[in-house]
Amino acid sequence: MKSVRMALAPWLFLAPYLVTTGVFMIWPLAISFDLSFKQTFGPGHEVWVGWENFQFLLRDPLFWKAARNTAIFAACSVFIQLPLSLGLAMLLNRPQLWGRDVLRLVFFSPSLVGLVFVGVLFSMLFEKRTGLLNRVLAAMIPGFDVDFAWLESYVMAALVLAALWLYVGFNMVYFLAALQNVPAELVEAAMLDGASPWQRFRHVVVPEILPVASFVVLLSLIGSFQLFELPFILLNGSGPDNQGLTIVMYLYSTGFVTGDLGYASAIGWVLSLLLMVFAAGQRWLVRRLEQ
Amino acid sequence: MKGRYPEGIISWAQSFFENISPGVGLIFLVFLATLPVVTMRAAREQRDLEFWVFAKQHADAYRPLVDGWNSQADNKSVDLQLIDYQAMERRMLSGFMSGTPVADLMEVERHMIGRVFSGPLEAVGFVDLTERLKREGLMEKINRPSFSPWTTRGRIFGLPHDVHPVLLAYRADIVEAAGIDMSRIETWEDFVRELRPLMFEGGAVGRPVRYLLNIWHTQRDTIEMLLMQAGGGLFNERDEVDFLREPNVEVLARIATWIGGPGRIALDAPRFSASGNKLILDGTVLATPVPDWLAGIWQYDLPDLGGKLKLMPLPAWVPGGRRTSVLGGTMLGISKTARDFEECWDFAKSLYLSPTLAEKFFRDSHIISPVVEHWGLAFYHQPNAYYSGQCSGALFIEQAPHVPRRTSSPFSMMALDALGTVMHKVVDYADSQQISDPKALEPLLRELLKKEEERIKRQIARNVFHSGLAQEVQR
Repeated sequence: MKSVRMALAPWLFLAPYLVTTGVFMIWPLAISFDLSFKQTFGPGHEVWVGWENFQFLLRDPLFWKAARNTAIFAACSVFIQLPLSLGLAMLLNRPQLWGRDVLRLVFFSPSLVGLVFVGVLFSMLFEKRTGLLNRVLAAMIPGFDVDFAWLESYVMAALVLAALWLYVGFNMVYFLAALQNVPAELVEAAMLDGASPWQRFRHVVVPEILPVASFVVLLSLIGSFQLFELPFILLNGSGPDNQGLTIVMYLYSTGFVTGDLGYASAIGWVLSLLLMVFAAGQRWLVRRLEQ
Repeated sequence: MKGRYPEGIISWAQSFFENISPGVGLIFLVFLATLPVVTMRAAREQRDLEFWVFAKQHADAYRPLVDGWNSQADNKSVDLQLIDYQAMERRMLSGFMSGTPVADLMEVERHMIGRVFSGPLEAVGFVDLTERLKREGLMEKINRPSFSPWTTRGRIFGLPHDVHPVLLAYRADIVEAAGIDMSRIETWEDFVRELRPLMFEGGAVGRPVRYLLNIWHTQRDTIEMLLMQAGGGLFNERDEVDFLREPNVEVLARIATWIGGPGRIALDAPRFSASGNKLILDGTVLATPVPDWLAGIWQYDLPDLGGKLKLMPLPAWVPGGRRTSVLGGTMLGISKTARDFEECWDFAKSLYLSPTLAEKFFRDSHIISPVVEHWGLAFYHQPNAYYSGQCSGALFIEQAPHVPRRTSSPFSMMALDALGTVMHKVVDYADSQQISDPKALEPLLRELLKKEEERIKRQIARNVFHSGLAQEVQR
């Protein structure tokens, strides 16, 4: 009897986790996988369509537009946002910098407000005629068209700029933590050996912060591929000519506006597949770099 | 203590509190403390029928009538519930799709209805009212085109709440001060020709100080409204996607030259935005197409415009053409799970056919009733100081019978998106190539419309419920 109780005890402790994960994760995932092979109108009206949803996705120009937009945003996140975050972290890691604690808070504070707020804020900044940006430019540049529509002409640039404002400080915190863990004696030794600042950065700092940097890259990639709220609020939809349409926005509009849950599930699974490929690729790359 | 409680309970309680963590103990105490409050809370009074609405204005207008209905001993009582637009849409669709209970009566906005109609006909969650409407003569009593958004595959699923004809609101103070007689304007061509000098009045040479019309390529529903005015539209009479109709090409080309290129006359003053309202208040944009509901909203949101605005029929696209169009709409439907259809039907008629409600709606929101016999009521024909003493109600009523029919296709939102994409590209082209002749834009327009039409047709073709395949598969 006692041995049965002992055997059951771990499962009893695990039960709350297993039940909640099962009900709210595994079961919906299984349902969505099943849905991705169907067309539905509620549980009462389902038709098995096999690979049709996936085949249609491959030749759906809107999906490819969304994928292209998402990839551009992700690339900007990795190649613009993260170097800026690292640069800022290095600057604010200098002990001799006056007021650096306050500056750290200032740069981190945008991430406290959230994507929806940033979307609203930047939509007001970029507004035609009444927006702050156009007002300032019109005051500074004679002949500047106060009706210039930033959110129609530079959709992706506006999105990237808003995301930079929000996330540069946030990612800076990760890099700052990593930089503070770089052994000072290694840097000093390199200096004594006559290494230039670039050589110290390339051969001492980068290898030390690589695990954190790879984690931040992965987080940024996943976050970029899940981008939804920012364009949705900033552009009040997907923007002119769907220039701000992302994969998750397309998933949302397919599932909840058009009501095609089967196709939306197929998009979701393709997105998951893409993220898995990116995560695996990133791990492989980091291992190569570490070796 | 031991004498009053069984020893087992005491020892169980002792061991319980000794063995649990402080956090769990706290949660348990909070549970005990709040239990009486929750259990003793007065339950919501049970009513016989549930009625969901999404607009506060509607709920406020209905409440006295619902109270009056409930006070009649013979009637089943109605519980009027105001629910957020999106929450209501989700609840309604989830209910319809899963077969779980929804309200007996629901008011549905035009953009919600496409989803309701996206499945097979037998899966529409509302009762088919077609025969009932015909039998009781309501098809003749209610403005006929107002049924179209609530009709799918020839069946009608709701009572129309409104007509929503569109007129042109213009800044009479500015236009009349310039000596322009708006009654002479019959077509859009007249409108542009007569008003264009006002764009540059008082400004530097070549730089406009104001614009003539509030329209932009992002205002997709306004563009669609103008297409329908011209006899076009994104869907044909059979609710099939039909972008390439001749009126569509001509109208879109004309609108593109208004928004882009050297002949620009338009400005973007979006509805319900502070910046848009400011542009209208400042007189930076002179005219805006307004449906009756927007004419009412302006009276509250832009009181400073009182006495400065006038209404006129929309200029026609061709001499003798239609002078109005339609924008927005709501219906009242009875769900298939309604507890008592006959009672719901009686209630729906008492509400929507009521002259009292028609008057209240007009006075509060400027919305005119779709019930044709109400159009002669005195309150519609009184001068309105806000619109410079015009009988604004009568002006809308004059155009109400001429509103075009509309689609109820579940793909209408997708088609609107496609329209936005096409217009963005054409306006961009007009801007970059400095084109002001609409004819020069038509080849590009045709090409883009064809491409988008084919894309949407492919989307529709893969919908097994619409192609009829589902029924075959189920059989």
